[in-house]
Amino acid sequence: MVRKIVATGLVLLMSAAMVFAAGRAEGPADDDTLRIGLLVKSLGNSFFEAARDGAMEAAAELGDVEVIYQGPSTPTAEGQIEIIDSLIAQGVHGIAISSNDENALVPAAQRAQRAGIEVISFDSAVAADGRSIHLAPSDDELIGRSQVQAIAEMIDYEGQIAILSASSTATNQNAWIEWMRTALEEPEYANMELVDVVYGDDLSDQSYREAVGLFNSYPDLRGIISPTTVGVAATARAIQDEGLVGQVELTGLGLPSEMSQYVQDGVSQNVALWNPIDLGYAAIYITYHLLRGNVEAEAGAVIPAGRIGDIRVGEGLVAVLGEPFVFDASNIAEFADIY
Amino acid sequence: MEGISNMKHGGVRGTFLHRILARREITLLVIIVLLVAAVGIRAPRFLQPGRQLSILNDTIILLMLTLGQLAVILTAGIDLSVASNLAFTGMAVAMWNMMMPGVPMIVLVGASILIGASLGAFNGVMVAVGKVPPIIMTLGTMSVYRGMVFLISGGAWVSAHQMSPAFRGFARFSFLGLPSLVWIGVLTTGLVYLFLNHTKGGRELYAVGDNETAAGFVGVSANRAKIKAFVLSGAIAGLTGLLWVSRYASAQNDTAIGFELETVAAAVIGGVSIMGGSGSVPGVVLGAVFLGIVKNALTVIGVSPFWQMAIQGGVILIAIVANTLVDRRNQAKLSMNGVSA
Amino acid sequence: MAEVVRLEDVRKYFPGVKALDGVTMSIRSGEVHALIGENGAGKSTLVKVLTGVHSLTSGTVYVDGAPVSFRSPHDSQAAGIAAIHQEASMFPNLTIVENIFMGHHLRKASGLLDWAAMKTRTRELCGRLSLKISPDTLVRDLSVAQRHQIEIVKALSIDARVIIMDEPTASLSLKEIKELYELVRKLREAGTAIVFISHKFEEIFEIADTYTVLRDGKYVGDGRVGDVTTDDLVRMMAGAALDRLFPERTPTIGGIALRVQSLRQAGVFEDISFELHKGEVLGFFGLVGAGRSELMQSIFGVRGRDGGSVFAGAAELKALRPQQAMAEGIAFVPEDRQEQGVILDMSIVENTTLASLKAVSRFGFPNRKTELATTERLAKRFSLRASSLRQVVAALSGGNQQKVVLSKWLATEPRILILDEPTRGIDVGTKAAVHSFIGELADQGYAIILVSSELHEVLGMSDRVLVMKEGRLVAEFDRDNAEAEQVLGAAIGATTAQRGA
Repeated sequence: MVRKIVATGLVLLMSAAMVFAAGRAEGPADDDTLRIGLLVKSLGNSFFEAARDGAMEAAAELGDVEVIYQGPSTPTAEGQIEIIDSLIAQGVHGIAISSNDENALVPAAQRAQRAGIEVISFDSAVAADGRSIHLAPSDDELIGRSQVQAIAEMIDYEGQIAILSASSTATNQNAWIEWMRTALEEPEYANMELVDVVYGDDLSDQSYREAVGLFNSYPDLRGIISPTTVGVAATARAIQDEGLVGQVELTGLGLPSEMSQYVQDGVSQNVALWNPIDLGYAAIYITYHLLRGNVEAEAGAVIPAGRIGDIRVGEGLVAVLGEPFVFDASNIAEFADIY
Repeated sequence: MEGISNMKHGGVRGTFLHRILARREITLLVIIVLLVAAVGIRAPRFLQPGRQLSILNDTIILLMLTLGQLAVILTAGIDLSVASNLAFTGMAVAMWNMMMPGVPMIVLVGASILIGASLGAFNGVMVAVGKVPPIIMTLGTMSVYRGMVFLISGGAWVSAHQMSPAFRGFARFSFLGLPSLVWIGVLTTGLVYLFLNHTKGGRELYAVGDNETAAGFVGVSANRAKIKAFVLSGAIAGLTGLLWVSRYASAQNDTAIGFELETVAAAVIGGVSIMGGSGSVPGVVLGAVFLGIVKNALTVIGVSPFWQMAIQGGVILIAIVANTLVDRRNQAKLSMNGVSA
Repeated sequence: MAEVVRLEDVRKYFPGVKALDGVTMSIRSGEVHALIGENGAGKSTLVKVLTGVHSLTSGTVYVDGAPVSFRSPHDSQAAGIAAIHQEASMFPNLTIVENIFMGHHLRKASGLLDWAAMKTRTRELCGRLSLKISPDTLVRDLSVAQRHQIEIVKALSIDARVIIMDEPTASLSLKEIKELYELVRKLREAGTAIVFISHKFEEIFEIADTYTVLRDGKYVGDGRVGDVTTDDLVRMMAGAALDRLFPERTPTIGGIALRVQSLRQAGVFEDISFELHKGEVLGFFGLVGAGRSELMQSIFGVRGRDGGSVFAGAAELKALRPQQAMAEGIAFVPEDRQEQGVILDMSIVENTTLASLKAVSRFGFPNRKTELATTERLAKRFSLRASSLRQVVAALSGGNQQKVVLSKWLATEPRILILDEPTRGIDVGTKAAVHSFIGELADQGYAIILVSSELHEVLGMSDRVLVMKEGRLVAEFDRDNAEAEQVLGAAIGATTAQRGA
């Protein structure tokens, strides 16, 4: 009897939670309001929380937009596919995706397109078949080159360096790493050697372990580039724990809040990142104008994006938001409070 | 009296068995030594004492969680919620520290153990009294507790600069040449060993997992034993939550995601019977160390990341199969001895 | 010798069954007391009453002359009564010391366990019984005989004054049995009271001092073993005339339906030959472990054989081919219906048509209407009690589960039915329904084998009775000359009965 009551109670509780959650996700279906899904790599990542804030800001400015913020609890393509399908079922008007897998999401994205939904990607691209415009946070080439330049300045253009990435299938990571390799062929980096690329899967413990592995494998290692927030923070912690501050330099792409302590402690002289708030903000503006038919998704199109100004669509329908912003000891503390 | 003739071999069998029990753990030790040697050939720096210490440091959290897992598996249960419990408790104490940096660490340590133990107690009560199968119950709370992390954090992380220096340094201040994390791990191992081998409550976990009916006959309460095991597992998970966020100086929402399966793997490698009633603290220590070495070794011998997961799984399987085969061969030998005696 | 435990007019009723119906018994220290009775006579219930597992319906248990009431096994243990359960009460993965002390570990002043003291005590207790075995041995590495011995040591560790041994020799070798006797005698010398339950008369005469006989839950007689003969005991066990009702019928025996020739499986059954006719109920009687179930499994093809042949009509049935046996019209209702007979989580309809899916299917898919019609027809025939035919079988009573099992096999429209213990563990009413149904089927020309350990069921139902003992057919009786005492005697091996045909 007790068991039955408990079981019934649990079922009721779960149903209530689902109804509650669904109610929040859908909201009123008003024909005049455009409903846009902002689908991120995973929930609970400060970077995307900031992007959501930007998206909300854009929605508030535009007035007739409702943002549905969604993402899987772990950064997997499978989770994102499920969410795309549920967004289709909810009948959203547009979806802006930061993808966990460039190709795996294409079929689901195409289903959405066939259902009349405008699909764009931002931050991490969906392959061209599955979206109209991709909003790159920055130019892949620019990021790759600026990261190499940053580490080069820290180690005086000499010595072994390694890269600690997120997952080995992350689209954006791989593009940047390619450009880093290309940049390293320039004559001014002739005395630098890229000895290894390792993957920490955006998990603290795995990234930390990979960083320690690098110290073990390459006793003469001078610098590490980690173009991902979890990775660069875990690497900073590992450098600190192993007493290698000053011996192994670190730069990368990381949230100022996560990196503030380490930059101020001198573990890393500087890290860079674009502004995720602007990214989310711009993604909503682009989707909005496409949906309203104000612009066509074609190379050369110019899309007005509120306070950011105009965004130009380039080759392969890729639009670039801007250049990565550098945080160092002088400014990171104030940004740490924002994101 | 010379009547009980076949009993005369009992004494011989007893010590013989002791040797086998030792040997089962020695099998694992040999595998570990071989593994370290093989990795050392490929990356000599792996063999330096400092490196070993860093691997040990990296393995402590897994070891502690596996000790809790051991207690639950002994009662023929399983606790899949440990990693979520860790993440929730870690987030909770990190947020407390962020909001009230002045609260002394000892209070946070106590709080982490308490929070973890409560989450464990919920599992235990539902399994023991509600008769929900442990795998179903903890599969459920694995998601529920993980969801609670998102609820209290609102999706945001607690970062290094938001933590007090004492909090950030808690897992790594050095005492007698070893980091505090290692000392806490050693202390926990000792206490769990004492509990499981030298207290009535500990032995009852074995009895309940081995034969619940028989335990009832001799007045051992299966419900109490199961609740105790889950509370222990939860308390340890809570404490490791504090240690984890302190060590990585970052409390995230997907902290330790998937870690529960590593604790089960470490337990099984260490010879813990998933059917309950059989498993030892030394075995679990070796199992966790083995898994820790495999994970660390793969990062230094330059295996392609695409292969790492498959290799890790393969090595674990080999260790388990080798362990089982040795065990079975010994059993066979034993029963043959029994017949000839 | 002093009386330790006394039972007076003890009754234990279960719904529909009087398991104990007025039993009086006196257990004295320094005595081995044999508890005798055929299966279902109430011996196990009596043990459960003594060990505090069952509470009494009425009557009184006295310990040392004072009335007691056991509410749990704990109470009974505290009163000094210990039962040697078989495997059920051991912890195979734990050591001997721990098996002995689980539940009452010895502790040091600090509260930690005192292993040294427990080992010393174990050695001392083992020494008292001349057992030489290391206390650190795991129980799973012990032989069955050794486990028994450890159970006895365990009983001594709680200072038991009464030790109940339920068929302790069942799985022991001859040598091990001798050692057990040695142990029992030693306990007796030390003043322990022993209740010894056994089917084997030679054992009773070898070891017991006194006896009590039960029949149908009732006290039949007691006395000193030296004052009676085997025949006396058999007479008491078997009882007088049949006081139970079985369906009256006049069988019309037809041609041969099943022929078994020199069937053998090494170590299980040997040289089995018999014939079964149409319209005949052939009873198989024997003690538990005589090999009857194994023989039936082999005939049906779910167990292998080492020699001999089986013919159903003209067709020879090959070993390990139950499909063939089914195709030849044989249906086998196994002994343990929970394990082998029904699928508890499936509905009545699904269970009923499980063995005859082809018959109720069209184009390979079961036809729901046909399924339901078949089930309805059979359910009516058995007056199956269920709220709906879609109900899961787990929710039914034992008797109704048995009806589902029978329905399942009848749905295959067999010609030969093998029923292994069809009425074990079901209430009296259902039993009667099953009995009359068996009679009905035989009258309709089915050939039926009825395996039963219940003497009166075999005698009341069968047209012919075959008796098995230790894997061999030892006697055959016609309905007219099958006397309870002789049949039981043949199964036990007490009287030398000649095999008729």
